[in-house]
Amino acid sequence: MLLLGVALLAMLLPGPEGPLALYAATGAALTAAGRARAVLRGAVVCLPLWLFLFLLHAVLGEGPRLALGPLSLSADGVDVALAQAGRLGAIVSASMGVLETFAPSRFLDAVAERGWRFHGAYLFVATLQALPRFRDRAAAIVEGQRSRGLRLGGGMVARARAVVPLALPLMLGALVDVEDRVIALETRAVHAGTRRTPLDPPPVRRRDRAWWAAAATAVVLALTWRLWR
Amino acid sequence: MSLGRLEDVRFRYPGEAAEALAGVSLPLEPGHVTWLTGALGSGCTTTLLVAAGLAPRVTGGERSGTVEVLGVDPGSTEAAAVLAGQVAFVTATPAVQLSGVATTVREEVAFAPANLGWARDRIRSAVDRSLERLGVAHLAARDPGTLSGGEQQRVVLAAMLAVAPRLWLLDEPASALDAQGRGALYQLLAEVAREGAAVVVASEDADGLAPVADRLHVVRDGVIALSGEPGPLLAGEQIWSCGAGSTAVAELARMAGRLHADPRLAFPYPITVDEAVRRWSV
Repeated sequence: MLLLGVALLAMLLPGPEGPLALYAATGAALTAAGRARAVLRGAVVCLPLWLFLFLLHAVLGEGPRLALGPLSLSADGVDVALAQAGRLGAIVSASMGVLETFAPSRFLDAVAERGWRFHGAYLFVATLQALPRFRDRAAAIVEGQRSRGLRLGGGMVARARAVVPLALPLMLGALVDVEDRVIALETRAVHAGTRRTPLDPPPVRRRDRAWWAAAATAVVLALTWRLWR
Repeated sequence: MSLGRLEDVRFRYPGEAAEALAGVSLPLEPGHVTWLTGALGSGCTTTLLVAAGLAPRVTGGERSGTVEVLGVDPGSTEAAAVLAGQVAFVTATPAVQLSGVATTVREEVAFAPANLGWARDRIRSAVDRSLERLGVAHLAARDPGTLSGGEQQRVVLAAMLAVAPRLWLLDEPASALDAQGRGALYQLLAEVAREGAAVVVASEDADGLAPVADRLHVVRDGVIALSGEPGPLLAGEQIWSCGAGSTAVAELARMAGRLHADPRLAFPYPITVDEAVRRWSV
């Protein structure tokens, strides 16, 4: 809910002050909640994109120029780059925070508790859980093919040639996994047609409701302001 | 009373010219451990997939003949709700049988009971019982994805056992288990059969299954070529001509018989160490 609120606000708030303030607020909230690592990881993910935005809008942008040391920057481009960087930083940091705190089974329990459709939630959680396994398998395939003489270095042509023997077993293996997983789930009563029992649903505290209400109010206010303006 | 049956079942996988099953008939009898064996590609796994309703519903392909489990065709769309929790299907690769969403073994085992909408107390007691019975209670708080293959297979079996299915279909279920785990698995299968479930196992593990199976079907080229009590079939020569194998002792006797023309080494071969000692010590 909060991630959705941050994403919507990032799009609605005018830049560069709005997105930058949102990024700062998101970072402060995560740090206060003991998730400073999510902020750091978000910054690491964003860094190359920030540099690209700076280059694209501030350095190569048109319009009135302003000097920053030896650099001549586009004043409008700097605003655009800062706004985009703030939006990106806020959304990525919030996403990292969600990833760090996400408990798959409790999410499914929360979905079951509310009587929402289980299948969509399962697909979302299973995809998230499958990513590390997919990464491990990719690493194993790289090692396996290397031990069979595949050269991964060299020029562009050599690298392009290496893609097929690496990607094909990865994709085929994933497809086989999907079929096996479907078979396994078929016999684990996923199509029982009954409402799933939530085993340990996360409690919704007064504080949580207050945060959700604050996020929803902020989104509505920002939307109203944008439309009015 | 029979739990169901396969009658003259034929099955062809998509894009394949040859039939994987070419007229298989198999009763699904409660209280019995039925053992299917045969050479690779003979049709044992396909027989299980058809009995579970997974072929052709999941695998694709064409099926003919009669398949009935608890009064419904398991391949039909309405069967999913009727058979939910009634049929266990266990394969040789435990890692892909995990739900993929549980972060502890306890959650993994509770996955199917929760899907069936059981009350929380009932789920807790069923999970505790299953974990105890499979000897994995000490792993309850572990992440299933970090367990060894053998531990994962035990967890998968505990997850199946938790909903007390009436039909067990197992494809090489012991391949990830050590000798002790194999023994415990076959003991469990004998117990659930005694409790009234129908158990069908496709496996080449003659040493493990010979003492617990009530009936052996040898599958060859998609048809059941031999049927009978495991003992006489394992001691005979015909099972070898079907591309299947027998116990290690029977194989040893057969190989020795080829090297030495000794009547004690002729078939029927001994299938256990005790039988071999009795026969060869004369």
